[in-house]
This record gives sequence, structure tokens and C-alpha cells, in this order.
Amino acid sequence: MTLAGFMARNALRNKRRSFLTIASVALSLFLLCTLRTGLREMTNPASMEESACRVAVRHKVSIANVLPAKQRDLIKRVAGVASVMPLTWYGGVYIDEKHFFSRFAVDPAEAFRQFGEMKISPEHRDAFIKKKTGCVVGIKTMERFHFKMGDRIELAGDVWPCDVALEIVGTYRGGIDETILFFNHKYLDEASGNRGVVGCWWVLADRVDSVPRIIAEINRMFRNSDAEVLAESERAFQMGFVSMLGNVTLLIGSISGVILFTMFLVTASTMAMAIRERFREIAILKAFGFRSSDLAGLIVAESLLLAMAGGVLGCGGAWLMFRLVPIDTMTNGFFPIFEVTPGIMAQGMGIAMALGFFSCLVPAWNALRLSVVDGLKILD
Amino acid sequence: MAIPLKYNLRNLLVRWRTSVATLLGIALVVAVFVMVESLAAGLKHSFVTTGDERNLLMLRKGSTADSNSQIGRMQVDRIRYMAGIARQADGRPLLSAESVILVSLARASSQGEANVLVRGLEPAGLELRPQARLVEGRMFRGGLREVICSRQLGERFSCCQLGRSFRAGKNQFKVVGVFDAGRSAYDSEIWMDVNEARSVFDREFFSSILFRPENEEAAARLKKTIEDDRQLTSRIIREPDYFKEQTMTAGPIKWFGDFLSWIMSIGAVFAVMNTMYATIGRRIREVGTLRVLGFRRREILISFLLESLFLGLIGGVIGCLLALPLNGVATGTINLQTFSEVAFQFRVTPDLLIKGMVFSMFMGVAGGFLPARVAASTPVLQALKSV
Repeated sequence: MTLAGFMARNALRNKRRSFLTIASVALSLFLLCTLRTGLREMTNPASMEESACRVAVRHKVSIANVLPAKQRDLIKRVAGVASVMPLTWYGGVYIDEKHFFSRFAVDPAEAFRQFGEMKISPEHRDAFIKKKTGCVVGIKTMERFHFKMGDRIELAGDVWPCDVALEIVGTYRGGIDETILFFNHKYLDEASGNRGVVGCWWVLADRVDSVPRIIAEINRMFRNSDAEVLAESERAFQMGFVSMLGNVTLLIGSISGVILFTMFLVTASTMAMAIRERFREIAILKAFGFRSSDLAGLIVAESLLLAMAGGVLGCGGAWLMFRLVPIDTMTNGFFPIFEVTPGIMAQGMGIAMALGFFSCLVPAWNALRLSVVDGLKILD
Repeated sequence: MAIPLKYNLRNLLVRWRTSVATLLGIALVVAVFVMVESLAAGLKHSFVTTGDERNLLMLRKGSTADSNSQIGRMQVDRIRYMAGIARQADGRPLLSAESVILVSLARASSQGEANVLVRGLEPAGLELRPQARLVEGRMFRGGLREVICSRQLGERFSCCQLGRSFRAGKNQFKVVGVFDAGRSAYDSEIWMDVNEARSVFDREFFSSILFRPENEEAAARLKKTIEDDRQLTSRIIREPDYFKEQTMTAGPIKWFGDFLSWIMSIGAVFAVMNTMYATIGRRIREVGTLRVLGFRRREILISFLLESLFLGLIGGVIGCLLALPLNGVATGTINLQTFSEVAFQFRVTPDLLIKGMVFSMFMGVAGGFLPARVAASTPVLQALKSV
């Protein structure tokens, strides 16, 4: 019998206990991966290279305040600005709150130039520019509601005091979020009585280097005007939403800590039980001439084997589950994406390994100190 | 005759290391369960305790919150002198046309900003909300860029404390008073004069109208008249009902808590099973002896079930004790409907503690059932022979 075979047999000699241990480690790691992913999607939204060139401009008082449309020409004149467009959160209700996805009013001619990572065919783009009541819907939302080209979507205004009736003239793929609906800002203007206001300005810089200067200039330009603005990088804008969530980060962080600790307790006590049962055998092995360091290696390896098996099941399970389960529909669009990244899985495996190692330290130490005579005397 | 409980208790003490690990496992699961649920409970509580049954709130039809509702000046004038609205002491209608603005302020503790709801109201608005009392400083005066803030908000945003000031847009606002709205949703707001709010924040529209009808019959009539009027395109809702609608903000938290506790509880059940299997495995000869002494299978099953129930029970008590200090701790998150910060407290209610205990006992029994059955069903001879 090889050493590896001996170890594997030892690990599986009490199948029920091994199963329970592996399962509880797997469950905990599944939870950890889920929490980490949720936290990451909320606090560290994915971003694309293209994002680095974009600047978001909102009202300084808060995001809920609107900006005057006349600012557009002034921003356009700032050196280094390649494109400016309004980006307005329309929100609205499609059928009911359960059918949620993001809806924005934009300038059709600029939108897909600015969001270069969202790929749209030239025909769809032209149709979007030509048809005032047209809209472009992300591929995921198209699939979720089985929309077809030419379908009509009626939205009831909640944030805006007007309803809109749109026709799907195109779809896009790619980018971080493939669920968004874009429609023509001119249509929104008309429907809401031409008040000449927009939600935010979205600005594309010609190069990444000019972004800081453009931000500074736009901020300075409207200082002490009726509508002071806050220009910031698209990334900073996204992070602003994260900060609104409040103590969620702390909450999830501490829960993860508690889970880790519980997991450690449970695994450590199982390992202790498994090893205590074998004190007699260990004494016999010692009597045969196995050295303490060999035996310690065996115990640690066995514990690692169990913990890693749990880790693979837990992290892999989380990865598989969130691939198969449509998490965006289940959470009504709260999480448009929910991806267990390789980084998170690697972290999970690292935790499993550490767990396997530390949880057997005390029992292994006890086993090693055991003298052959004492060990052989144990009956129980 | 039942096996004495002392037998089980002593066993838990003898194998105290395993017992403690299992106990703590259960305790932590219960603690997490109670904590997350108390967060949801606190959030919910702040909404359901807000508002006066007698008051009606008018919003634009289709709007989900007053922060995105718009009501024109003409509409306000039409409602103000409708028959059936109660009067103030000086004879003016008990009605407050209000304007709600979200202002982005820096948090006290962490870095980052959050939207805070600024409510411009008329003097009648204060009379309509007897829940809120001024506890420090004085009332705001119009035209002086003065505001009053809730005390709870002051804990989360240092610029909302008495004597401090904050900038919003071009203007500097001074906090001249602090109010306490009895842990209701108004405790997340800043109040100022409505006319000043509209001019400073350049608002053509009002957001909502709060008023009190003379009686129930007048309330029904006013609701009908206003909602039937095509030109007004408004909806009328009782003030408490409006805030109850917003409890959906607590939904995701509750969902999260349930998800978390279910998965963690399965893990804990596994841990209990492991412990019970091990302890029974080592005592299988004792079980045989008990059978020889004349105890029946059912009594042995019950005895071991009780033992794991103890584990659950003690774990549950520790878990509840761990969660208890959280009661009353202030926290805040975003109100998904108004998009503004809502400040509230964790609420560890007796109800939640009972739920936590039931949960822990369930974990104990669920984890102990299979091992106890093994113990009860092992034949006497086999049990006695085993080493």
C-alpha cells in the first residue's frame, strides 16, 4: 500500500463523518463565495477599459436634481471633449415592479459611440437614430422577455411625469450590462413638455490623459451658476452609488468573518474526533518505527484532503450554480450580473487550505506528544 | 421509565470540547439570523410607525414616492380651499404643500456621500406631524437659510448637528434646531421652509400635499373629488399607508437573511450530526447496557434526541445573547423608493428571539435524529460486543 493510498483510506474510513465534514466545509465556502461575489458586484462594479475615457456630470446638490439642456454646448467646447450626450434615468414601470430593468434616455447618435464596448449593428444604429420612438434593448433583456424586433414597450412614468410608448428597433451585445433599454432623449423631452432638462451629461474624452483636465474645467465652468455640477470619472460616479448603500459592506464583511470562524470550529472539532479515535493506531505506527514528523505529515495531509475536497465542491458549486441560475431575474434586476470570478474561487480555495491546515494542528500535536505506551493503553 | 436527563447533561460536560465547538456553531448561526432579521425589522419599524391615520397625502398619479412627485402651483391653490379640510387655530386650512429635494451630504463615519431628503414644509406641516418634537435649538425661520435636522440624522452626518452648517448648491444652510420624530421615517429628514426651499433649489413644482380632513366622511369625499378630477392627475393615500408602501426596501435584506440562515443552518445540522454520531459511536456499549437494564428503544431515541435538543437550546440562548447588544444600534441604508438615506436602528424584538430559539432547537433535533435512530436500533448483543 502506498502512502497516498493509506492516507486516502484513512480519510474515508468513516464515510459518514467524511461526508458530513466535506459537506459542511463545502456549504460554508459556497456561502463565502456567494457573499464575496455579491459584495463585489455591489461595491466594486466591473468596469471596462473604455470607461476610463468617460466623464459623468451630475448636479452638485444630488443626483436627483436635473441639469439645464443649455449646458451641452458649453461642455462641447471644452478642449479634448470628443462627444457629449444627455443620459437620463427614466426608470418607469413596465407591467409592474417585478419586470425591472434599467431604462435611460440618450442621444441616439452619440450613445454607441460613447459606449464603444456595447456592440450594435450599423442598421440597428441607423434605425435608432431615425425613429424617434425607437429604442435599443440589451440582448439579455430581449431574451428574458422574449422580445422581438418591432415589439412595442409601454412604460408608465414614475420618476418622470409622462408615459412613453417605444418600439424596439435594435439590440446590442457586449459591455458590462446587457440588460439596459436606451431610447431617444428627444422623445422624452416632447413627452414631458419640453422643460429643457436632462438627468446627467455623459462626456467622452479624446484621450485618457485629458480626463482630469476636462473634469476640472467642467467643474470650474459652472461654479456659481444656477446649476452647479459635479463632474467625475465614470468610475467615481459608480462608486458614489456604492457609498449610498451604507453599512452593507461592513455587515457582509462581518457575516463572512462569522462564517469563517464557525467553519473553523466545526472542522477543527471533527478533525480532533477523527484523530482521537486513532490514538491507538498512531501508537502502533510509532512502535513500528514511523517517525513523529511522518505521522504529523499524514495527519495534516488527511485534513488538507478533506478541506480541499469541500473547497472544490463549495467554490465549484457556487461557480456552476450562478452560471445556471438566472440571478438577474431572480433578484428583479438588482444584480444584473453575478459572476463568481476565478479570483474569488482562488481565494475560497486558499481559505479551504488554511482551514485544513489549522484545524488539525492541535489534534496533530496531541498525537505526536503521545508516548507509545500511553497510546497502546487507550481502549476507548 | 425515561432515562434521567442527568445522563445526557453529564455526557455533554464530559466531552466538553466537542460540545463547545458544536454549541458555538449553532450559536453563531442563530446570532447571524437574529442580527440580519433585526436589521430588516428595524427598517420596517421606522416605516410602519410613521404617519397619522387622519392625514391624507396627495401625490402625482404614477409617482412612487414624494421625491419624484410633482404638483403644480395651480393644483395646490385648488386643493387648499376645498370644503372638508380641517382648520388650524387661526382658521387657515390644516394643509401643507411640500417640496422634497435630495441633497448629497458627506457621511460622518466613513468616507463617501449619501442623499439626504430635505423637506420644505409650511407651518401647518409641523402641526400635521405631532410625532416630531423639537428637542434642541429653535424652529427655522424662512428666508434665512435655516433648517432643522432630526437627531438621528445628526449621528450619521456630522453636518446635521446643532450649530453646524452644510452647503448644497450655491447656498450654505445653518442647522438651528434638532427634532426627534420618535424613530419614524421622518427621523431621516431635514426640514426647512417650503417657499425658501423652492426658490433656493429652483423648484417650479411642489412635491406633495399633506392635509387633514375634518372627519372620515370628508376624507372619503375629498379623495373621490380629487382623484376623479382629470386635471389634477393625482392620487390620494393615507399618510401611514404611504410609508407602509416603502417597507419594500426591507425586502432584499429579509431575503438575504433567509438565504443566509438556511444555508448556514444546514451546515450547523451537519455539525450536530457529526457530533452526535461520534458521541453515540463511543457510547454504543452504554446503549447496550441501558437496553439490558430494561430501557426501551423509544426511550433511548428520546434520550439522545433530548441531548441534541439541549445542544440546540444552549446554542440558541448564546446566539440570542450575542445578538442582543445590537438592539438600538443606529445604522442606515438607501431607501430604494425615494433614493435617499434612511436612518434606523436594529430592533431585536422578543418575537425575533423566539424565532431564533425555535430555529436553534430545530437545528438540534434535525441533527440528532439520524444518530439517535442508529443508537436505538442497534441490536443489544452487537452493541455490547463493540469496542
